[in-house]
Amino acid sequence: MVESALPLSGLRVLDISSFIAAPAAAVVLGDWGADVVKVEGPDGDPNRRIMHDSSNYPKSDTNYPWQMDSRNKRSIVLDLKKADARAALDRLIEKSDVLICNFPPPVRDKLRLAYDDVKKVNPRLIYASLTGYGETGPDRDRPGFDATAYFARSGLLDAQRYEGGPPGVPGPAQGDRATAMTLVSAILLALMHRTKTGEGSWVGTSLLGNGLWSCGVIAQAALVGAYLPPRPPPDRPRSALGNIYRTSDDRWLQLTIVRTDKLWAPLCEALELPQIVTDPRFSTEADRRRNSAALAALMSEAFAKKPYAHWLKALAAKEVTFGVISRPQDVPDDEQAEACGAIVKTAIPEMPRTLANPMRVSFAEQRVAHPAPELGQHSEEILREAGMSAEEVAALKRSGAIR
Amino acid sequence: MSDSEEPLPLEGLKVLDVSTFIAAPAAAVALADYGADVIKIEAPGEGDPHRHNYKRAPTYPRSENNFPLQLDGRLKRSIALDLKNEQARPVLEKLVKRSDVMIVNFPPPARERLRLRWQDMEALNPRLVYCSLTGYGESGPDRDRPGFDVTAYFGRSGILDSARYEGGPPGLSMPAQGDRATAMTLVAAILLGLRRRDRTGKGGWVGSSLYANGAWANGTTLAGAAIGAKLVTREPPDRPRNALTNLYRTKDDRWLQLLMVRDDRLFETFCKVMGLPQLVTDPRYTDREERKRRARELHAVIAPVFASRTYAEWATILAPTGIPFGVIERVADVVQDEQADHAGIFAETDNPAVPRTVNNPIRLGFARPRKSGVPAGVGQHSEEILRELGHSEADIATLKKSGAVG
Repeated sequence: MVESALPLSGLRVLDISSFIAAPAAAVVLGDWGADVVKVEGPDGDPNRRIMHDSSNYPKSDTNYPWQMDSRNKRSIVLDLKKADARAALDRLIEKSDVLICNFPPPVRDKLRLAYDDVKKVNPRLIYASLTGYGETGPDRDRPGFDATAYFARSGLLDAQRYEGGPPGVPGPAQGDRATAMTLVSAILLALMHRTKTGEGSWVGTSLLGNGLWSCGVIAQAALVGAYLPPRPPPDRPRSALGNIYRTSDDRWLQLTIVRTDKLWAPLCEALELPQIVTDPRFSTEADRRRNSAALAALMSEAFAKKPYAHWLKALAAKEVTFGVISRPQDVPDDEQAEACGAIVKTAIPEMPRTLANPMRVSFAEQRVAHPAPELGQHSEEILREAGMSAEEVAALKRSGAIR
Repeated sequence: MSDSEEPLPLEGLKVLDVSTFIAAPAAAVALADYGADVIKIEAPGEGDPHRHNYKRAPTYPRSENNFPLQLDGRLKRSIALDLKNEQARPVLEKLVKRSDVMIVNFPPPARERLRLRWQDMEALNPRLVYCSLTGYGESGPDRDRPGFDVTAYFGRSGILDSARYEGGPPGLSMPAQGDRATAMTLVAAILLGLRRRDRTGKGGWVGSSLYANGAWANGTTLAGAAIGAKLVTREPPDRPRNALTNLYRTKDDRWLQLLMVRDDRLFETFCKVMGLPQLVTDPRYTDREERKRRARELHAVIAPVFASRTYAEWATILAPTGIPFGVIERVADVVQDEQADHAGIFAETDNPAVPRTVNNPIRLGFARPRKSGVPAGVGQHSEEILRELGHSEADIATLKKSGAVG
């Protein structure tokens, strides 16, 4: 089934973006064969340093976030504040199919990188814009981050809390990476449009829009005046049989028992609580719900006596339904993570495995990840490809416009 | 960005949505938003069980109005077809033959039983882009396990375990939160399949899994875990690792999220607007590393200041400074948020019961998403679609009588 040509081979992409959502969209295009050139300022994309700068990132000697968000890209350094660098960029824009940009609008205007500026250079160009909060409106110029725009502003974090507790906790770049798939969809729609009409276009998305899309059920409910009641904490659940429990090795199990009458006795046996099977406080589903805090207390005590691995077996043996709450360290070695194509091998010696983008197709395999570029590693090569002479490149170097 | 009246980009694209619940049907919605003709095939009678979630699902807000259907059923036509009934098969095959895209989310054994696998469909229509969603992938020990958002996307991928404060319970996910993110991946996969068909004339299988999407969303942490990076636990807000990227409760019991990633540039501004100018020159806090080392001390200084004013006051104070922050917004407020309208997030509908809905997050300069009306009832378009396929009135009556069509 696999063909040698990747579905996006020949597509030229300029990634003039920083941090994660927009660069990750460029990664996905690269995974499917696009030639991605990353344009960076003299200091480089701050994502090169985020592992050290952000206290929420797991620390390592290997710069794994940078490797993940820049795999298979080439890097050119252009100091876009300098006029000759901006002129050089136009040479690249002329030869590109897609430009991905996530500068806030005022920076775009200052650098003459708004869509109206670049479409004069290349009317067939697809300009993909990522913002925190949209292209117009009171907050359009506000820098947007995953945690603020996708999670906090959308209402997700407030909704993701147990009653009385602090807001939910977003994982690093969790919303960025989901947003990247939207940006990819938008770009592919624009390519389809260009195939039909010959015209380039503007496409885009916002972190806020993606956060609200993901919590669409509660947003749509709020639009008709319906609200989610606060989630009670695990020690006073609405139903003890649909609750989470801590095991002796500080892991958590999620019971997902729907057929409660059928599974009540098997559950008590699995928990080694035979005495409560006939306890009148718990004999019907209505009783169990009425006395859910008392039942949850008994069950919590039972679960806390033995480790997670024991419970997996004991519950499965009685056909009691539950959900696995994996720890991040369990996922890379989960056979199923490989089977669904999430974890893949790389050609990066210090990072032998990484996360594939979640799209699968029968007619191509994603490109193997090769090392992310050093800052400006391909500056000369890229400008020469764009038709500049060695002398022109040397002049740009002397002026400090490129590096 | 444009008011041109060009045809919608997916006009003329024929999509069969043979899926249930949310991730896969939501992908079909996004295609319909941009002009595709989507036919939903569902079981006669109750139809897609998602139609009843607003009344049945314990995790859903309660309403008299079927609000989830506006999100996941809008702009589709419905044919009620009993795929287990042999007489329905020729109808299905006719539909497959004239479609460009088919979206399926049956677990693999059901697909096999119903002869709905890609290899079954390819024989009928080799130009078809067949899009498959699973919980856990198309192979491997768990391929047949039904996958739901909370189990496959959130639980299995490590997101819920990562999303907890140290010593606390796992994080919570919202209904269909991962489903809807996954829908965007399916859209991208379908468009990639269509692009390749434009070039080669060949259809093909494309797909994704909830597990892979959860893992992708959790990718930074998992990429770290894969090379043995030391995973971080999240201290609760009163014991932060970095006081400048932390949560603060305001006077009116709301939460404000400070996100000064580049704090070396903004620290001085921050101290001034907080009314703590003495901190700028305080040797304990002049250096970024020092500030991190003394995060709890710094928190103890900052927290009472945040607690002394309301969220609205802080928003006014911080907005002009460039200090990145976000309110922990409440959904009730978001639906009134002027900025959300600017970002094209909500749309009016022609359905009086659900007058506004949530747009898919793709924005295009050359087209706007279609306005949606009242979502179709189960089998509302059965007869119309059968006539389009060339069935006579007599055929239609026979099919209905046999129970193949509802």
